[in-house]
Parts: sequence; structure tokens; C-alpha cells
Amino acid sequence: MATLNITYNGLSSDLPLELDGHVSDVDVRRIAVEVVRSGGAPGLHIANLREDAFSHYVVDRFRGPRGEERIYLRPKVPFGA
Amino acid sequence: MRIVFCGVGAIGSTAAVLCRNLEATLVFIDFDRVESKNLLAQAFVKPSVGKNKAEALKLQLLNLHGVKSEAFGVRVTRDNVAALCGSADLLVDCFDNQASRVLLSEFARAAGRPLVHGALAADGTFGLVRWDERFVPDAEDTEGQATCEGGAHLPLIGQLGATLARVVQDFAKHGTRRDALVSLVAVTPTAS
Repeated sequence: MATLNITYNGLSSDLPLELDGHVSDVDVRRIAVEVVRSGGAPGLHIANLREDAFSHYVVDRFRGPRGEERIYLRPKVPFGA
Repeated sequence: MRIVFCGVGAIGSTAAVLCRNLEATLVFIDFDRVESKNLLAQAFVKPSVGKNKAEALKLQLLNLHGVKSEAFGVRVTRDNVAALCGSADLLVDCFDNQASRVLLSEFARAAGRPLVHGALAADGTFGLVRWDERFVPDAEDTEGQATCEGGAHLPLIGQLGATLARVVQDFAKHGTRRDALVSLVAVTPTAS
């Protein structure tokens, strides 16, 4: 079981994800559009979300403390200073 | 402990001010100057307009809070990164561009220096605090993309600056290395 975290428009949502092997970044973005549209991401339901809403988003992949896969779909963060 | 803030604009200046309680030497590096528009989103005050940002922050910490610090009003390059950052016990990346972040990251990895990054999305809805071992610098979507110079994103900048300061303080006191996602509604720890 993996966890997909989606951050969009200042909101962030975790949802469990059953994966059969590796999913590409393109697939992660496609899945995210579907779950956000359908209300499957808690607190992040946007029925009319654009198809390309996540096209410029970054997919980060980490292992959690117990070895579980965590996938983060997030906006780019180019700025600091 | 010597903590070096690389870039003291919106995120760097906000986080640095919130680290003034640490028993550490705070060091600021920034080549840029304070402009009037910066006052809305950065920790600078009106008398600092026109001054170098690193020098201005050093003066403000001394005059307003009685805290001594060090300042280098230069751009970090391959030629000077070792001289500027080689004595750091902790590097804090608050740069506003991918090239500078990569330069600092490469130095930190080669020199074995701890490095934490603070980063902000262009639309001011999302920020990230992430240690270098898990950080990949993002490029702007378009070259010269507007940065967070105005005051529109100040609440998120404050939240991200405070989160970064907490991560710096936890590292200074306990050696922990926590990551966090920062949005308008929550600060979410993501790794430690």
C-alpha cells in the first residue's frame, strides 16, 4: 500500500493507493486528476478540475519510516530569497 | 554553531529573524539590495531600503534585538562557495533560483555539510522545507517568472519561514532533520 499526497491550490490531501508495480509520473498525475474530480482525496474535491491541472507538478517518491512508499504530487518551488 | 543563511529575501530573512534566540553565530549571504517593494514580504524595515540585504539584516538584528551576526554582501559562486560556506555547521538554502541551489547542494555534499532548503511556489500557496538528501531543485516554469517580492504571499511566507526556523532550531538543539510540506491550511511533517 502506497500513500499519495496531493497538494493543490493551498490544500493538501493524503490517500491510500493500491499499486501493481511502478507507476510513472504521468500516471500519478492522471490518477490525481481522477481522484480529485471524484472526491476520493479527502478535503480536496474539485469536480471540474482541468485535465492539465498537474501537468507542471513535481512527483517526489520516498520511503516512509516503515518502508512504505510515499508519493508526493506538488507544485514546483523555485523561490526562496 | 555557525548557521549560514544563503539568500535573505522573503524566506531567508523571515527564518533568520526567528532564529535569533539560538546560541549560534548567524551568518547572512546575499548580493541583492533592499527595495521598497521588499518591505511588504521580507523582514526588512524602511531605513534598510538601499542597503545590501545581508548587511541590512545584520544591522537590524543588532539594533532591534541586540543580536550580533555576520554578513557577506556577495553572490555565491563556484569560486567563493568554499570560503563562504566551508566553516558552516549548518547551511540554510533560501536562494531564488535553481542554479544557486544546485551549486550549494553540490558543495554541501562534497564537503559533508548539513544543508536544509526552504522553497516556495510561485503562486504562494505552497512551500517546502526539505533536507538536501531528499531535495531536488525545481526550475521556474518560465525564465524570469515573478517572485514573491510583493506582499500578496506574506502569510504563507511567514508560515514557511517559521517552519524552516523550527527545523533549524531542532537540528541545532537535537540534531534532528525533519522535512515539512507547508500549505495555507497545514504544516505537514513528511520525514525525519
